[in-house]
Amino acid sequence: MDTLSISIPEILVAHGFISPADQEKIHAFSERSGMSYLKIALNFGYVSRKNYERALGNAGYQFADIRNEAFDQNVLDKAELKFVNDQLGLPLRIENNKVVTIMADPGNDLFLDFVRFTYDLEPEVIVASDLEITWLSHKLLGDKYVKAAVFDLVKRDPKSSASTTFTPTQLALIFVLWAIIAIGLFLNFKTVSIGINLIISSFFLVAIIFKLFLALVGSRFELHQAVTKSDLRNIVNDELPIYTILLPVYKEDKLIKKLIWNLQSLDYPREQLDIKLVIEEDDDKTLNAVKNLDFPSVFEVIVVPFHMPKTKPKACNYGLHFARGQYLTIYDAEDIPDTDQLKKVVALFKKLPENYICIQSALNYFNRNENFLTRMFTLEYSYWFDYMLPGLDTLDIPIPLGGTSNHFKMDALVELGAWDPFNVTEDADLGVRAYAKGYKVAIVNSSTYEEANNNYWNWIRQRSRWIKGYMQTYLVHMRNPVALIKRIGFKGFLGFNFFIGATSATFLIYPVLLIIFVCYLIFDFSTIRNLFPDWVLFMSIFNLMVGNILMIYINMMAVFKRRYFELILFAIANPIYWLLHSVAAYMGLYQLITNPFYWEKTNHGLSKVNNPTNVVK
Amino acid sequence: MKIAKSTYLFIFTLALAGWYLFIGIYLNQLGYYNQESLFYIEKTKIVFEGLGNRLKVMGLTAPLLPFYSTFIFSSINSYLAPVMASAIGTAGLFYLISRSFLIRVKDDFYLFMVAILFVLHPGIIYMACSGKAIYLVVTFLYLFFLNLLKFYRSNTTFHVSVASMCLVTLIFCDYRFIWLTLFFIPLVLSITLASLNLGEKESIFRLFMSFNSPSLRRKLINKTFAIYVILFILPIASLICYKLLNQTHASDLNYFIESPLATWNVLVDKLNYDTVATAVNYQLPELSILVSLRVIYFCPLILFGMYLLRESTYQVLTVITLFAFVEFLHIKYDKLFLTYQYYLIFLFVSLLCMVFKVHTIKNKLAVKLGLAFVIVLQLYTGYIFLTHSLITDERRFITTLNRLNPNTDQSESKEMAEYINKLPDDTHILMDDAVSYPIVAFTNNVKKLTLPYQLDTFLSAIETPYKYDDYILIATAKNPFTGYTQLNDKYIPEIRRLNSGVNYKRVYETDSWILYRVVSLQ
Repeated sequence: MDTLSISIPEILVAHGFISPADQEKIHAFSERSGMSYLKIALNFGYVSRKNYERALGNAGYQFADIRNEAFDQNVLDKAELKFVNDQLGLPLRIENNKVVTIMADPGNDLFLDFVRFTYDLEPEVIVASDLEITWLSHKLLGDKYVKAAVFDLVKRDPKSSASTTFTPTQLALIFVLWAIIAIGLFLNFKTVSIGINLIISSFFLVAIIFKLFLALVGSRFELHQAVTKSDLRNIVNDELPIYTILLPVYKEDKLIKKLIWNLQSLDYPREQLDIKLVIEEDDDKTLNAVKNLDFPSVFEVIVVPFHMPKTKPKACNYGLHFARGQYLTIYDAEDIPDTDQLKKVVALFKKLPENYICIQSALNYFNRNENFLTRMFTLEYSYWFDYMLPGLDTLDIPIPLGGTSNHFKMDALVELGAWDPFNVTEDADLGVRAYAKGYKVAIVNSSTYEEANNNYWNWIRQRSRWIKGYMQTYLVHMRNPVALIKRIGFKGFLGFNFFIGATSATFLIYPVLLIIFVCYLIFDFSTIRNLFPDWVLFMSIFNLMVGNILMIYINMMAVFKRRYFELILFAIANPIYWLLHSVAAYMGLYQLITNPFYWEKTNHGLSKVNNPTNVVK
Repeated sequence: MKIAKSTYLFIFTLALAGWYLFIGIYLNQLGYYNQESLFYIEKTKIVFEGLGNRLKVMGLTAPLLPFYSTFIFSSINSYLAPVMASAIGTAGLFYLISRSFLIRVKDDFYLFMVAILFVLHPGIIYMACSGKAIYLVVTFLYLFFLNLLKFYRSNTTFHVSVASMCLVTLIFCDYRFIWLTLFFIPLVLSITLASLNLGEKESIFRLFMSFNSPSLRRKLINKTFAIYVILFILPIASLICYKLLNQTHASDLNYFIESPLATWNVLVDKLNYDTVATAVNYQLPELSILVSLRVIYFCPLILFGMYLLRESTYQVLTVITLFAFVEFLHIKYDKLFLTYQYYLIFLFVSLLCMVFKVHTIKNKLAVKLGLAFVIVLQLYTGYIFLTHSLITDERRFITTLNRLNPNTDQSESKEMAEYINKLPDDTHILMDDAVSYPIVAFTNNVKKLTLPYQLDTFLSAIETPYKYDDYILIATAKNPFTGYTQLNDKYIPEIRRLNSGVNYKRVYETDSWILYRVVSLQ
């Protein structure tokens, strides 16, 4: 195929899809960034893919289907994925003394020259959709990056990787403990049961008091503004650094339009944003949704080649190789961040000491009033992000990061080894790892609104993954408790145990204790009474009543702070909600043993509630 | 400079604690005890030294927190533990209040005035040196109102939730404060109304506007309800739980407020009322409207406090709520007299008003002169209220302090306890500590005693005393509490009738008590 007589930029201007002024901007940006003109035009909101295809069609070009094109590994070996990705072209094979090259912009001279100089042959151009080229180039050239995404942490810091779920020592310890308990129960059932009962009751008591204390510490600073309005006013747009946003998605085709809308609303210079939609190789649904957009897109697509485990952290690690930003954050497809969130983070990073490498925003839900589950979820998140995390932050205890809206300094993230692809709550793990290396995490006064799960089964699956991930994280960091104490201090160690360890444990124990209590109330079993001598009974009753009341009350406080007054009474339903947690905890425990790296995908886009963008004035 | 001041304050607090301890211990040496502190001493002895279901005593003795606070000091001296707790607690309260003045008002004159009050006010000395729970009631009420006022200013959940927790602790110091929740309904509505973003400034018009707009009405109701819940669900739920605990362990929801085994004031309040009602020297009783006037007479400073808060309706309402509360108590518990603590709380609320608002007054000299006069006046009214109190404990305190003569109120109990102490260690004495707790408090060895907390043993011992006990302590007909115990003068004839094979011999006798020895004839 011949090269074009007039260039793509001229065609786009001629069709009125791009103004001459924008054209100049794109050229300048292209020179600065090294990305091709077309890449910028298609990924920075200048022209839609439909219009581009239309313009190209008018010029006599049709997109070819390239997925099944033959390729020669020797030809591919001479091409570097990052360059290919930026230029939207890929040399495939040599045929008839020409290099068969697929290109999104057949007039991209830089890439054509690259082919000529590299292979010393003329290119034979096949015009294809940029997304198809991206898909094929990542599939064919992404192997080393995806391997790095999976194995980098295992190689660099195997002790911090969850690739091994249980170490031999941990297994031995667990079985020895079981054996001791079993022998004890056999020899003296009553005393050992009372002992276990006492340990569980004490554990609950301490955990409850600790959580109340954290909530009070967190709420003490609720008026504190980490970033004030005047801090924001002092920000100069031209001085803002490049900000990478990773959007790892899987089969989220329904949310793409909404996602673009939300991203466009961000108050941050467009050219300083480096937004990457990270999709899996087999996710044609999302790819097609992006392809079929009839308005300009504001993100670049990165395709993760197939490799196990198929997890979000692996996708993020892969996307990290292509990130250009000084800072990086992750959003889910359905997230609606406060429009000034990125600027607030930049301002806060400037104010904080160097060792602060991550800033967590609060998460909350836009569809809170949809059904019982979304209400309960909102109560839980309000308390978690508005009270518990600020409480941990104030007390300098490791913060388990939330799944999204955690903003990193790129260099520190890379130094830490990024996310653990074998851990299904990679965010929580990363928070602890950062503390272990002497880094700190801060909380910013900005929220991201997500879609609360409104389907029970979907909720249980999502929660089972979270709880499994907490168990993984706990097992990883407790491989050597003494070393952990040395790294994060005794306070951090206690916080880690009561926050990460206790969360899963309490949900596992909760239904057992509830069943015992119900049996005691209804059947008045004398055996149960024997296991609860008066003083243990007192403690258990105290836990049951005071513990439940306090946890309910903390939830009430959190929604009160958020001014979600209509939700306040729903906090009373928490004991039922905790039962759902217990179901998820047992499912998580089962999966931890049988399928530890399996990623229970949460379906998004189920909500029927539409929320406007959260513009912060 | 500030550090030096707070250090100075701390040293003064220690000196104040020493002053209270000196008075308290001296009064104790003179023989002054009150029913409340004796009750705590007795229960503490049972918990630490008794045999049987001690956890029930520990869990269901009311008021709970004052009882627990005496625990801390009982290892030093069980008889002085309540006094130590109240002395140190009151000094702590002084530190709390003066710190607030130091931080917010920054004028030493007010600190000086507070110091004078704490050193010389007879009511505060009574609070600190009597060993009663008043110091805890006042402290938690002060903290409750402090956080409430802070909430008005900051609108933060933290302060409203801390206020709520203070109310919980307050209720576990004096159950009657649960009724405060009732009077906060209009107040909470007023707070919400003030927090709505409306152009209109006048409260009544704001209310009118809010009720006539559906969205505002919804917002008003939602927020009012939310504030009410966040403020009161914790105390109400705690109380329900505590009542359930009483139900499961004592088969009575109100065991902690109605059983003389669980709380000291069931019988003492009745006795106080009966004594005064039947007395020849008839004193003017508390009348409904007069209670508020008596409060103002006792603490004129409260008027100044309300004047300081005049700019916001809901803050004035907050103080008025307390007036409504004491009026309500007077109506609800019509056969009881309002104890000193219900007057004393107004003194501390007025100090709180000053902490928040006194710096807004421009004519500082006039305020200071007025304040000095009122404080001197209050020292006098505080004294008058104690000397003319309808409550025996209060009158006895001030007369003992005035005359510095030995107090013989508990000599009878001590006498009986002394006799019991001389009995061999392996003897067992049946007694009912619902009425005889002062005697138990003065005994050296509670293991000798068969008391109601040892439920099964006690019930069996009542039926067949000769099988379980060697002695029985009986309340005589002269004993004012004789009607409230089974072990009274009717018990011995009855038990003799049931088993003629056992005889009971008087071995020791006082006006109110007789100790019988069980003599087996078979």
